[in-house]
Amino acid sequence: MTAWNLRPIASALWRNRTGALLVAFQIAIGLAVLVNAVYIVKQRVEKISRPTGMDTANMIFVASAGFARDFDYDASWREDIATLRAIPGVQAASVISNIPLSGGGSSSGFQARPGETNPEKTVPGNTYLIDEQGVDALGITLSAGRAFEPQEILPPTPTFDAASQAIVTKAFAKSLFPDDPNPLGKTFFDGLSRPITIVGVIEHMHGAWVSWDKLDHVVLFPRIKTGPSAIYVVRAEPGRQDAVMREIEAKLGDSNPGRLMRWVRPMSYFIEQSYLDDRNMAIFLVSVTGVLLAVTALGIFGLATFNVSTRIRQIGTRRAVGARRMDIVRHFLVENWMVTTAGVVVGCAGALAVGYWLSVKYQLPRLDLYYLVGGVLAIWLIGLLAAWQPARRASAISPAVATRTV
Amino acid sequence: MLEMNGISKIYRTDLIETHALRNFSLKVGDGEFVAVTGPSGSGKTTFMNVAGLLESFDTGSYKLDGADVSRLSDEQRSRLRNEKIGFIFQSFNLIPDLDIYDNVDVPLRYRRLAAKDRDQRIKSALEVVGLSSRMHHMPSQLSGGQQQRAAIARALAGDPRFLLADEPTGNVDSLMARQVMDLLEQINEMGTTIIMVTHDPELARRAHRNVHIVDGQISDFRPYEPRAEIEAAAVAHGPAPMTMTPA
Amino acid sequence: MFGYYLKLASRNLRRNPGLTALMIGAVALGIAVCVMTLTMYRALSGNPIWWKNDVLYAVTMDFWDPTEEYFDSKPGVPPWQLTYRDALAVFASDIPKRKVIMHKAVGTLSLEDRQARPERVTTRVTTTDFFGAFDVPFQYGGTWAPSADTGPEPVMVISRAMNEKYFGGRNSVGERIRWNDNEFRIVGVRDHWMPLPSFYDVNNGSLEEPEDVYIPFGWNAALEIYSAGNTQGWKAEEINSYRDFLNSENIWIQMWVELPDENARRRFQDFLDNYAQEQKQAGRYGRPLNNRLTPVDQWLVDNDVVGNDDRVLVGLAFAFLAVCLLNTVGLLLAKFLNGAAMTGVRRALGASRRQVFMQHLVEVGVVSSIGAALGLALGGLMLMGLRALYTVDPTDQGGTQALAQVDMTSVATALALAFVATIAAGLYPAWRIGRIPPATYLKAQ
Repeated sequence: MTAWNLRPIASALWRNRTGALLVAFQIAIGLAVLVNAVYIVKQRVEKISRPTGMDTANMIFVASAGFARDFDYDASWREDIATLRAIPGVQAASVISNIPLSGGGSSSGFQARPGETNPEKTVPGNTYLIDEQGVDALGITLSAGRAFEPQEILPPTPTFDAASQAIVTKAFAKSLFPDDPNPLGKTFFDGLSRPITIVGVIEHMHGAWVSWDKLDHVVLFPRIKTGPSAIYVVRAEPGRQDAVMREIEAKLGDSNPGRLMRWVRPMSYFIEQSYLDDRNMAIFLVSVTGVLLAVTALGIFGLATFNVSTRIRQIGTRRAVGARRMDIVRHFLVENWMVTTAGVVVGCAGALAVGYWLSVKYQLPRLDLYYLVGGVLAIWLIGLLAAWQPARRASAISPAVATRTV
Repeated sequence: MLEMNGISKIYRTDLIETHALRNFSLKVGDGEFVAVTGPSGSGKTTFMNVAGLLESFDTGSYKLDGADVSRLSDEQRSRLRNEKIGFIFQSFNLIPDLDIYDNVDVPLRYRRLAAKDRDQRIKSALEVVGLSSRMHHMPSQLSGGQQQRAAIARALAGDPRFLLADEPTGNVDSLMARQVMDLLEQINEMGTTIIMVTHDPELARRAHRNVHIVDGQISDFRPYEPRAEIEAAAVAHGPAPMTMTPA
Repeated sequence: MFGYYLKLASRNLRRNPGLTALMIGAVALGIAVCVMTLTMYRALSGNPIWWKNDVLYAVTMDFWDPTEEYFDSKPGVPPWQLTYRDALAVFASDIPKRKVIMHKAVGTLSLEDRQARPERVTTRVTTTDFFGAFDVPFQYGGTWAPSADTGPEPVMVISRAMNEKYFGGRNSVGERIRWNDNEFRIVGVRDHWMPLPSFYDVNNGSLEEPEDVYIPFGWNAALEIYSAGNTQGWKAEEINSYRDFLNSENIWIQMWVELPDENARRRFQDFLDNYAQEQKQAGRYGRPLNNRLTPVDQWLVDNDVVGNDDRVLVGLAFAFLAVCLLNTVGLLLAKFLNGAAMTGVRRALGASRRQVFMQHLVEVGVVSSIGAALGLALGGLMLMGLRALYTVDPTDQGGTQALAQVDMTSVATALALAFVATIAAGLYPAWRIGRIPPATYLKAQ
């Protein structure tokens, strides 16, 4: 079967190789960038879309700062919490020490046995202080045990104190007691070897820092946050978040001249803020890679157009000696496919090299070969599409040009 | 004026060597009008290219206007082309983007003449070829004969010592061809040496002398009778009888 | 001649508007992406106080957990902050020309008469040398007296923005203002100042804007101010009061010193080592002696101010520019070869190789210049888009606003780089076209 005529096409290409080589190099770079960009973007998207364990769509955070010398923190938070819980559409409200997924928080190390404070035996956890409605306000699911009772909630301390009871995530319990499937009721210890009893187990919950590998190690203590700044977490009924936020601003806004209402913000604000770098990286990579491929496609298009325009007589002659329009189209597509493939071969090596560099630099898993295959197919398709129009135009050249003199 | 001695030019590819000119010798005197004839592939075009300093050669010597040109740099060859040689091509080779005025301007630009001087030369050259009224037409707006006259004006504008014409009438109809030839003769009479490659016996006969090339060498066989065979023979090795060289 | 080449170039470029647009577009895109990325990268990676690189040092001491390194990925680098008591002890040395201990806090600013709405302000609790050490400019007044550091005296420097908000931009030196309901007297108004990256405190990212107000370090103990940056501890300690906190192993204080010469640097290093040795003997230090004086350049590297993502983006930008340039070279080559017949005519009419080369190079230059101009405008738009990307809440833009104030040198550098690269890329097609033997295209087809 000689219908494809690969050899003469290849030798004609070789005689005009500079333009073809330039396009092949573009394709090589395009493939290397495409494959790795898609791989990075996929990881970022997975990271951003991890479940948080919380009812993030309906959560609202409120921050106030008492600054007056005569400011009464204790009276203030009690009054605020009562006001918040009375707002229609509020499911639950709690004082909380920090905002989960905000990039700000507190963490401590804990041990399964008292006194074993060496680093290997220490399990870190994101710690939060909440009150009796905290579990409900965060919208977390307890797979075992219970939420805190009102009488268990401890008063604020001037320092960074824990409590003797805690609700912990399954992941945290598993790190602490790897062999025990049911940690409920067990006791673990803080750095000063003070015992803490697990009264509830959270199915899943995210803590403070989204890039920390212990993000799902969360420990909740029954205690009111230290003043004079307060943070409240409010969970609205589904669909009523906006209305509740407006109501909070109206009710708490100027209720006390000795403190400043700092802001009322939906949970989404903090999540967006925390994943901003990841999201922007993904947006960058997608847009720059997209434009890069478009430029490459234009390069292929330009080369094909040029090849057609310089060979009008040759094409006419081919037509005159009996080539069908389809043969002409195929000739140019095959020629272009050869250029693309040359680029793809170099590009595969480039993609693997970039992938290796990234894996060393980022400690990422090595580039998945499926991505390479997908990238090659995509580049082939792009090449085909870019060359299609010039090839069609070539096939429309009249056989009569062969006999024309100038 | 032009003296080639034992010139050889070989084109090499991976597979074959083509001897385009073999031990080629020719003298053309001042003010001569020489027609070069020969079959396709005989080396006419190579001769033109070598004579016009467009191509180098492998062996032999070439003196143009008394100066040895075999070892000149590209820069020096370009200057010689610009100042001493005018080209006329079969396909005119006018630059399609430029109007007639700007086309004639091209060689003058490369000579870095002052704007006023260029303008004067362009206008007088166009006057000689009878295209003064068309100077701002684009080449595509002109007939073949007019285009060739414009090309001749371009070749003349720089006051060259000699003109190289390659099938100057090949692409124009016979009426126009006669006009073009008349023009060339007129130019020759004003003192410009002309070498014209042609395969048209009619045209060749109007030259002072015919040179026939076969297989890269001058052949003694002369298919046509030149108009002024006797005169040409007389001046073949000496100065031209008409010594009206351009100022 | 240049004028003639320019005329020819514009004529040639107008002949194939589509191809010309494609080339200019490719150059512009390549340059725009490079200008954007390199500008951002420079903002993140540059040393904003390079002129003091040989005199300004960050002071770090390693008294972290005896059983564990502070940085997993950079063994041997001490933690970037100090404990309160170590900072105070080292601050007592009179070897440095200037010495700064500090941390970031937040407080509420208000006026006695409550005329302006109270405002939550970022606050740097620091010493008098802060402004001199980091070359901070003043609009009015100046820093406080050294005695105010430890007194502490109720004196404050406020930012130009705060001065506009509370005092309408007039000279407010001598005015009273309240911080967390404590009266302070304004001694200076800091002028515009935006070092990028914000090297002197890397806790909150490198695009952090400078603080709104500055108060003397001594107020920590008096007003029980906690850090709003980062407080870290390795030791389990009983902490029942603010005093316990100040005496704990928690690290939260940054320290910088200005040492005018090598002699001073050595003497101060000895001083640090002696102090650490004493503490070791007193049974406090469990780690090997590792006290460092780090110049700003190294400091930015040690603290990973430039993230991996930023490096990947710079790589991507260069790959992008490469593709755009390859594209442009290919198109230029195709275009020039397309016009080879006419170039042959010009050669026959006396144009030398050099003249043909120059003519085409001018054409490349025209494409590059238009591309560069468009690229610069496009890059500016992209930088604005970048700001939008980094802004979650338009009323709270934080340090990302700084991306709009990027200095012109970095833009110019990026632009020049890309422009030169384009011209360099155009050399090949221009050279190639000059090498074509003039006779090749003259014969009728």
